[in-house]
Amino acid sequence: MSADTSSRHSPVAFWQGLGKKSFGYALIFPALFIILGLNLYPTIEGIVTSFTNQSLIDPGKSAWVGLENYFRLVNDPVFQVALWHSLELTFSAVFLQVLLGLVLAHLLIQKVPAIHFFRSVAMITWVLPIIASVVMFRFMTLLNYGLVNILLTDVGAGQLARNWFGDERSAFPLILIMHLWRNVPFYAIAFMAAMQAISADLYEAARIDGAAEWRQFWNITLPNLRYIILVMVVLHVTFTFNNFDFVFLSTGGGPVNATEVLPSYIYKQAWNGYALGYASAGGVVMLVILVLLVTICNRFIKGLSEQ
Amino acid sequence: MIKRIPVRWIVTYCGLAVFYLFLMVPVVWLVLSSFRNNDSVQSGKLLPELSELTFQNYVETFQISNFSTYLINSFAIACCVTMLTVLFGSLGAYALSRFTLKGKRLFMMAALLPQFFPYVLVLIPFYILMSNLNLVDTHIGLILTHTSLTLPFGLWMLTGYFNAIPKELDQAALIDGCSRLGVLFRILYPVAVPGLVVAGFFAFVVSWGDYLFVSILSQSNETQTLPIGLQTFMSSLEVKWGLITAGTVLAIVPTVIFFSIVQRRLVSGLTAGAVKS
Repeated sequence: MSADTSSRHSPVAFWQGLGKKSFGYALIFPALFIILGLNLYPTIEGIVTSFTNQSLIDPGKSAWVGLENYFRLVNDPVFQVALWHSLELTFSAVFLQVLLGLVLAHLLIQKVPAIHFFRSVAMITWVLPIIASVVMFRFMTLLNYGLVNILLTDVGAGQLARNWFGDERSAFPLILIMHLWRNVPFYAIAFMAAMQAISADLYEAARIDGAAEWRQFWNITLPNLRYIILVMVVLHVTFTFNNFDFVFLSTGGGPVNATEVLPSYIYKQAWNGYALGYASAGGVVMLVILVLLVTICNRFIKGLSEQ
Repeated sequence: MIKRIPVRWIVTYCGLAVFYLFLMVPVVWLVLSSFRNNDSVQSGKLLPELSELTFQNYVETFQISNFSTYLINSFAIACCVTMLTVLFGSLGAYALSRFTLKGKRLFMMAALLPQFFPYVLVLIPFYILMSNLNLVDTHIGLILTHTSLTLPFGLWMLTGYFNAIPKELDQAALIDGCSRLGVLFRILYPVAVPGLVVAGFFAFVVSWGDYLFVSILSQSNETQTLPIGLQTFMSSLEVKWGLITAGTVLAIVPTVIFFSIVQRRLVSGLTAGAVKS
């Protein structure tokens, strides 16, 4: 009896009293509330905003303008440039990351001395704040005392020295290189873990059959990595297409829009140009493309794996 | 046979050298430069003289402007986000993994979907929502914001983790008189440590590195974090790269320390989360 009364006052017992089912809902409530309230709701609200002329100057006042923002986007040359750059960057970055990730993973599963050291430090580039990576790369490519130009001068190629982020031809490749620098180790580590999970018997059998090493890689390793490759591609298509920091912090989209991507352009439209409605329309275009890209990735890789 | 092995080693090491030079040179150059005085940085020489090495940049970094405020803000916010993500993420994951809920698939979808939303789109209504709640330029606002960014991954990954733990384990504990919350804290937590650590680490890294949301939701020195501070340094201290590099090193040290602690578990955690969805 006394146990009964005491349990009525304990909060744990109170939750249990509600029954197992509602207890489950109570457990998931905080997480869902934060995710839905702060992610899903703003996104839906953003889609609505894209049909209005809302401005940052007076966000309370906005009028419905239908598809006007979208018509303006179609005729906005900078938006088109940014869209093209975003797609170009996403495709080239993810493609090269998978390729280089496979190569690095293959190196990391070799049984050579000190390989554990290489494995353990690999992902350091991925955990650093992007602003820190940007500082590193900007500092390395400074005109007069950046490492790249010092090395070029030392080997007698001083005429190539330039302010790399300020040059229209080299700025975009540098953005791509920063993406590779940050993410290739992540791919490699994920692929490596999947490679280690493949049964050694398969390779043993292939060796007995006299299959060359690249054939083993093609016929055993790669098919077994299909799922993890799919996961990494979807993750990084999203990450790269959405990434705002690399471009905004290193070049701000310049020089002369040479590195402008959708996130940086939309951000500037909203927060420097005060055009919240117009920026939202750009964001909705991004959302649609992203959904399409993820679906295509899914299909493409599933199709490959069924061959 | 004896001859073939070293050849393989050499090829492997050459390949690794190419990759790791590319990965590590920017970091090494940054750290090296942060210990050089201004004349040395601008000398255009690859390696400094021993006499040119100094701690002066670090001393000055703490003297100028609000660097220590930025550091404290970043640290406080990232720690709170880490704890909230692990707590709410594990509670939610426990529910999704162990309870029969109506609309479970819908919950999982709702939790995963935001990962694919463009942040620049989310940010616009987000700002208006936050200003209606009077949470612009507050620590709580930033903590909630970052938690909403890290929870989907945390919830998703921890659900996978809990699913992999045999249900017999908590049934036995329940029969022994353990409460339902007790099952989570006493039975699942100890087994799921790698998953919890990875979810927490992920949350810390995202919060510590976020520039986008802080740049809009923080409007005074009171709430600004390191990424904003470093960006301000870069644009205002244009020639003082000694200070900028020192500030950047200070900004990466906590993540590197945290990384070195969890590194062993990071691989298994991230990939287990990816595989057991």
